[in-house]
Amino acid sequence: MNARTRLLFLAILLSVSALCATAALASRSATPKRGGSVTFARIEDSQSFDKTNVFQNESIWLAEQIMEPLYTVTPDGKRVKPWLATSVKVSNGGKTYTFKLRPGVKFSNGKAMTSADVKFSIDDARKQSKGWGYLDAAIKNITAPNPSTVVFNLKFTWAPFLADIALFANGIIPKNWNGEPRAQFYKHPIGTGPFMWDKRVVGQSVTFKRNPFYWQKGKPYLDSVTWKFVTDENTRELQLRGNQIQVDEFPPFNSIAKLQHTPGVTMTLFPSTRTDYLDMNEKYPPLADRHVRRAISHAIDRQAIIKSVLFGHGKPANSFLPPQVPFYNPNSGGLQFDIAKAKAEMAQSKFPNGFKVTLLVGAGAQVEAAMGQILQNSLKQIGINVTFKQEDTSTEFQDVQKQNYQLAFSYWTMDIADPDELVTFAVDIKGGGAHSFFTEYNNPTVVNLSHKAQRETNAGKRAQLYNKLQQIAAGDAFLGFLYYSPFRYAYSSKLHGFFVYPLGNYHLEDAWLG
Amino acid sequence: MSLGAYVGRRLLHLVPIALGVTILCFFLIHLVPGDPARTILGNQATDQRVALLRHQWGLDRPLPVQYGKFMGRVVHGDLGTSLFYGVSAGRLVLQRLPVTLWLIGFGALLSVLIAVPLAVIAATHRDRLPDHVVRAVPLVGLGFPPFWVGIVLLLVFGLHLGRGFPVGGYGNGFTGHLHSMFLPALTVAFGISPILVRSLRASLLEVLESDYVVTARSKGLPERRVLGRHALRNAVISTVSVLGVNIGYLVGGTLVIEQVYALPGVGQLMINSINQRDFPIVQGVTLVFSVMVVLVYLLTDVAHALLDPRVRFE
Repeated sequence: MNARTRLLFLAILLSVSALCATAALASRSATPKRGGSVTFARIEDSQSFDKTNVFQNESIWLAEQIMEPLYTVTPDGKRVKPWLATSVKVSNGGKTYTFKLRPGVKFSNGKAMTSADVKFSIDDARKQSKGWGYLDAAIKNITAPNPSTVVFNLKFTWAPFLADIALFANGIIPKNWNGEPRAQFYKHPIGTGPFMWDKRVVGQSVTFKRNPFYWQKGKPYLDSVTWKFVTDENTRELQLRGNQIQVDEFPPFNSIAKLQHTPGVTMTLFPSTRTDYLDMNEKYPPLADRHVRRAISHAIDRQAIIKSVLFGHGKPANSFLPPQVPFYNPNSGGLQFDIAKAKAEMAQSKFPNGFKVTLLVGAGAQVEAAMGQILQNSLKQIGINVTFKQEDTSTEFQDVQKQNYQLAFSYWTMDIADPDELVTFAVDIKGGGAHSFFTEYNNPTVVNLSHKAQRETNAGKRAQLYNKLQQIAAGDAFLGFLYYSPFRYAYSSKLHGFFVYPLGNYHLEDAWLG
Repeated sequence: MSLGAYVGRRLLHLVPIALGVTILCFFLIHLVPGDPARTILGNQATDQRVALLRHQWGLDRPLPVQYGKFMGRVVHGDLGTSLFYGVSAGRLVLQRLPVTLWLIGFGALLSVLIAVPLAVIAATHRDRLPDHVVRAVPLVGLGFPPFWVGIVLLLVFGLHLGRGFPVGGYGNGFTGHLHSMFLPALTVAFGISPILVRSLRASLLEVLESDYVVTARSKGLPERRVLGRHALRNAVISTVSVLGVNIGYLVGGTLVIEQVYALPGVGQLMINSINQRDFPIVQGVTLVFSVMVVLVYLLTDVAHALLDPRVRFE
């Protein structure tokens, strides 16, 4: 072997060694490590951990780390899978569900979970008239024939039943609230989840620590998780860069590009079920005209909104259902930006010469103000003069819900892996309790389709019903479908296994620090 | 009138002031549209569920009845229960109070520590370069909004320059608080010290030309002693009033600084509670703020009298 050959051999040897070392490092970094603490910073503090009565995401996503349901949502947000139950058998024409409980599941106090706990938890949840009890309305009764079996008898066939059972409100807690008064129990709840209650400073932070009895062996990896309340978005970003926090929840859209190029920071946009709408109140006569609503829907320049408000991080909405919801129909015919068509619709309406309309905008809500400007310019082209009515967000919220508005912005995120929750709320003027998303939209055909879909357990037939429903609703343009936007999380590059589901929740038992 | 009697009388004035503040605050916050039940129940709220929650909180009763109940609790030292958190409003306010007091106290101290030497330099170098610099540069601080100053200080001292200070937060223990509160207090000082500098400089210039200072100098007293013992003590009297007014203003104005530095103070609690229409907390914070402002002004008057024996308590 001459010197040149030896040199070549050495170079090859070094390259192979380097490759092996890199591969070894990569494989080591992919192996979850146990230990460490993670701190989230977010714009809102948790309100309550009473999972049966709380509607605030900042509370719900934390409660889910402690209290788990029988079934849970799959990562794509479209189905459910067994969680504290291992299987379910459906009988009696779809009116009886028999769940087999997962063996070896314990609460964080060390006591085994039994069917009595399950019966108690869901009986308690469905009693809550101010809370989420309405989603359990189909349940007639629950029995616990043996410690590992729970039977649900329904009043009628109910297609969304398993999705409803996977709702956080139906998470399992110890029977009789572990011997405490109800309100006291929810100040430091106990469950089977990966984390258990540690401490809370109201208005400042909440800390959970590892549940030593967690049923998934070896998990969770983290010792503890803290959620801090940091209202200023700039401060949250600086704290992430300064490693004082590991997760910045919902950084503003205008900082995404910068965070994507910040060393040590992973900026991820998780697909979400968030859908933003323009509410059109049909109590205002021009907006009761289908042609006017179609004209407005055609006049919304969704791309301009996405570009200027979301900085390109969104997609135009083409149905009132988001793509991450089962039975979403991408071809439902949701109206898109086309000024010529908008003018044609206006010409066919009872208001061919246009009219004046007021748009409710949250004071200080920059996103709404920017969207309002774009909308104002577009609608002017079809003869609709928009004036803004600014209100602080709490008042704006109340006025929308009381239908004391003409045009307003709103949004929705899903809580279950089934369209029923949103469909009922949005189109069932009487049954949904919200006057069809506060718009007074009333199409009996759509309402009837929604009722049929609730009772149809055949997935194929259900899909057909929801397809038709979405098509009619899109044609009626009862809401202006604006855009679909992602959940935004900036987090330390040392944090692995962090994944946000389309419903907004996350399974922190899989997260670890490397 | 003795000092004790004067303080006692001023404290008695607190009662009608606090009562007036509670009446104003109670009816104003209820006049503003916005419903805490709808805020808390979110966009799934139905009229029925909203009505149930309003009834549970007693918000469906006439306003005078609600006010009567509120005052009934206040005289027993109970500010009610937070609608958002479901815990004692008084406890929440008291938990937050030390943070705000730290911010105000430390901010005032830093303002004085910055203002006094600068004012002395300016007054003793009248119309020369140091005077011009001292008069001009701090004014820049007044021109910058506190949130901007806060972010710049965080960027410079929290992230760069060796990361000497934490990026927000209150810290733990006395030294932790001292460390964490330095930048927020400096931000407060940025806003107050220019006013103090100008006030103290003007007073010093006036005092330095007075007869007793000329006499002190002619006696051969060193300039440091003339300044410290004769001029500064008399000049500082009007500045104490200016400081008192600014601290009074700060009591309600720390909000922005608390937001930027993620300080869990009363101001932050107040703004969140207004957004959530958490009436008991808004009322509680307003009551505490009004008492604090009255106390600050009282302390200012007492300090004024102690510094100037000519002032009589009347």
